[in-house]
Amino acid sequence: MDLDFTPEQQAFRASIRDWVAANLPADISHKVHHALRLTRDDMQRWARILGAKGWLGYGWPKEFGGPGWDAVERHLFEEECALAGAPRIVPFGPIMVAPVIMAFGTKAQQERFLPGIASGDVWWSQGYSEPGSGSDLASVKTRAERRGDKYVVNGQKTWTTLGQYGEWIFCLVRTSTEGKPQTGISFLLVDMKSPGVSVRPIVLMDGEPEVNEVFFDDVEVPAENLVGEENQGWTYAKYLLAHERTNIADVNRAKRELERLKRIARAEGLLDEPRFRDQVALLEVDIVALEMLVLRVLSAMAGGRKALDIAGLLKIRGSEIQQRYTELLMLAGGPFSLPFVQEAMEAGWQGDFVGPAHCAPLMANYFNYRKTSIYGGSNEVQRNIVAQTVLG
Amino acid sequence: MNFNFDDDERQLRDAVRKWVERGYGFERRRAIARAGGFDDAAWGELAELGLLALGTAEADGGLALGPVAAMLALEELGRGLVLEPVAAVGLVAAALLARAPEAVRGAWAPGLATGERRVVLAHQERASRYRLAHVETRAAQASDGGWTIAGAKSLVPIGDRADAFVVPARVAGAADDPAGVALFLVEAGAAGVAARGYGLQDGARAAELTFADTPATPLVDAGEAYDVLEFAVDVGIAALAAEAVGVMDRLFEMTVDYMNTRKQFGVAIATFQALRHRVADMKMQLELARSMSYFATLKLGEPAAARRRAVSQAKVQLGQSMRFVGQQAIQLHGGIGMTDDYAGSHYFKRLAVMEIQFGDTLHHLGEVSDRLQDAAGVFA
Repeated sequence: MDLDFTPEQQAFRASIRDWVAANLPADISHKVHHALRLTRDDMQRWARILGAKGWLGYGWPKEFGGPGWDAVERHLFEEECALAGAPRIVPFGPIMVAPVIMAFGTKAQQERFLPGIASGDVWWSQGYSEPGSGSDLASVKTRAERRGDKYVVNGQKTWTTLGQYGEWIFCLVRTSTEGKPQTGISFLLVDMKSPGVSVRPIVLMDGEPEVNEVFFDDVEVPAENLVGEENQGWTYAKYLLAHERTNIADVNRAKRELERLKRIARAEGLLDEPRFRDQVALLEVDIVALEMLVLRVLSAMAGGRKALDIAGLLKIRGSEIQQRYTELLMLAGGPFSLPFVQEAMEAGWQGDFVGPAHCAPLMANYFNYRKTSIYGGSNEVQRNIVAQTVLG
Repeated sequence: MNFNFDDDERQLRDAVRKWVERGYGFERRRAIARAGGFDDAAWGELAELGLLALGTAEADGGLALGPVAAMLALEELGRGLVLEPVAAVGLVAAALLARAPEAVRGAWAPGLATGERRVVLAHQERASRYRLAHVETRAAQASDGGWTIAGAKSLVPIGDRADAFVVPARVAGAADDPAGVALFLVEAGAAGVAARGYGLQDGARAAELTFADTPATPLVDAGEAYDVLEFAVDVGIAALAAEAVGVMDRLFEMTVDYMNTRKQFGVAIATFQALRHRVADMKMQLELARSMSYFATLKLGEPAAARRRAVSQAKVQLGQSMRFVGQQAIQLHGGIGMTDDYAGSHYFKRLAVMEIQFGDTLHHLGEVSDRLQDAAGVFA
C-alpha cells in the first residue's frame, strides 16, 4: 500500500497543471471559482481549447485520437482541471456518446461523428429520459418506425440538459414492443436541425433554463444513424452508463468548493464560530473519505481488476456531499443569500447588489443541486443496486 | 498510489484469520470474558503468531513488517472480537519503548516482542477526559537522582495483569501544560503500586492504578515526551480504526446472512426495500470507515501536524460508522440482536466502547475543526 503517486504520475500531474494554467482563460476560471453563470460560448471555448490539444476526449484510446491515459492519469487530469477552475466538460459528446460509437458504431459512423466531438465543434445532447420514465429508463416510449432507408421518430424526451444548444442528440427509441421492455430499444443519432424536432426550455427552481423538453414529430432519420443493431440499444445504454459513472463522485470539484466555502465563511466571520466551523470540518472529513474511496477504486482499476463493489457507492456519496456544500455555502451567506437578483450572477456585473457579491449565487446553487440525488439514476435506485450486490 | 498488499502482509493476515476462526471461537471468548477478560494461553498463541512483535524493531527482536501488516492483523482480531490487547502492548507500548534510552529498551523491548513481558501505556486520569496534556500525576527527583511518581491512572488495559506501565507524569508546569510532561517506566511490582482490576462493557480487562511515591525509570524527558506520547496514541488510534473495520465487517456479514435466512410474512426479510436500503447505507459507512482506516495507517509516517489531523479525521469517520453500523445491525436482527446469547450484541458493544476509546467523535471533530486549512483532501 502506498498513498503517493509515482514520480511519473506526479510529473504528469505537473505537466497538466502547467498546461491548464497557461491555457484556461482567466475570465472563465473567474466565473467557475465564483459560481457565476457560464454561457454557451464559455463552455464551447474551453471545449475547443481542449479539443485542439487532443484532450477533450481525455478518456479516449489512442486509436481514436485520444491521449490513451489510464484511470489514474484521467483522475489527475480531472483533478487539475477542477482545482484550476475549469468548467466541467459537457459530457454528452466526448464522454457519453463517443465511447458507444467507438465500441458499437460502424467505421463510417466513427469517421463521421468522432472528429466533431473530439474538436468540441459539435454540441451533443442526451435523449434518454422521457416524461414517464424517471429512473426507469427501460420504459422509453418514443417510437422509431422503420420505413425503407429511414426511421420515422415520434415522441418526447425530457430533462435534456443544455439541449437548447444541442446540434445532435443520441436517443433511446422503441423499435419493438415485443418481449421485456429492455428488448426492443434502439440507439439512434438524430440531427436536431431535422424537420419535426423542437426544443422547449424548462425553467428550474433557480430560474435557469438548464434542461429542456425535446419533441419529435414525424422526424425522419436516415437508417445509417442507427448505432449497432436494432433492438440492442439497451446493451449500449448500459455500456454508456458505466462510462458515465467513473467520475460521478466528482470529488475534485468538491475539494474546490470546500475551499470556496472556507473563503466565504472566513469573510463572513463564521470560521471563528465553533458551531459553524465544526460543520465545515465534518464536510472536510466526508470529502477526504470520499477521495480515499475514489482512490481505492482507481487502484483496483489500475491493477486490471474488476471495479470493486464499492464503485456503486460513489454516486450516492458524491451527490450527498455536493448537496451538503451547497447547503453550507447558502448558510454561510446567511441573510445575504436571500436576494434574488439574477443579473448579479453575470461576471462583471456592476450593479448595486444587496450584501457581499459572493453571496449572490449561493441560494440558487443550493436549489439547483437538489438535482444531483435525482439524476443519473436516483440515489434510491443506486441503493437498490448496492443492496443487490450485497444481499443478492 | 496503490492499495495492494504484499506477500508478507497477506500471509500474516491469513494466519491471523485462520487462528481467529479455529482458535478463538465465540464460546472461548465468552469463557475468557467471564474469567476476567484476559487469558494467558490466548496471549501465548497471539505471541506465537508474532503479533506482539509487530511494533518492535528487528534489532530488539521485532518483526518490522510495517504499519500495513499491523493494520491487516488488527482487522482480523477485530473480526474475532479478540479481548487481549494486542495493539496496546504490541504497537502502542512498543512505540513508546522505541524512544527509551538503550538500557531501558534493551531490558524491556525484546520481552515485549515475545509476549513474555507485558507493558502498557497508563495515561487516562480522572480529570483529563481526552486531553493528553492534562496530567496531574507528579514525578519528583530525589537527592540521589532517582525518580518517584505519585498519582492515579484509570482504565489501564490489563492493568492488573501487566508487568510494567509507561506513565506520563508531570515534572513541571500547570496541569494541562504539555511541555511539563515526561514519560516514565514503572514496574508493576514496584513499591507503592496498587492495581484494582475490572471488566469493561465489552468484556475486556482494565484496572485503576495508584502510585504512592513509586520508583520510576525515566523513559522520555519533558520537552520531547509529549510528542512521543501523541505519536503513540496516534498509532493506537490507527490500530483501533483497523480493528473496528474488522468488527464492522464481520457484524455486517452476520447481518446480511441473517436477513437472507430470517422470514417474516412468508419471505426472507432481505426482500424488503426499506431494509435493503439500510444495508446499502451500512455498506457505505463500512467502506468509508475502511477507507479512513487505510488513511490513518498510511499517514502515520507524516510530520506530526499532518499525522494528527489525518488521524483525527479518521476517528471522526470511524466514530460515525461504528455508531451507524452497530445500531442498524441490532435493529435489522430484531429481538435476537438484543440478546446476550447472540454474538451480534457483543460486536455492537465492542463498537460502542471503541467509539469512546482515544477520544469520541465530537472530540476529534474539534481537533479537525481547530486545524482547518484552506486546502483539503488526501494530499493536502
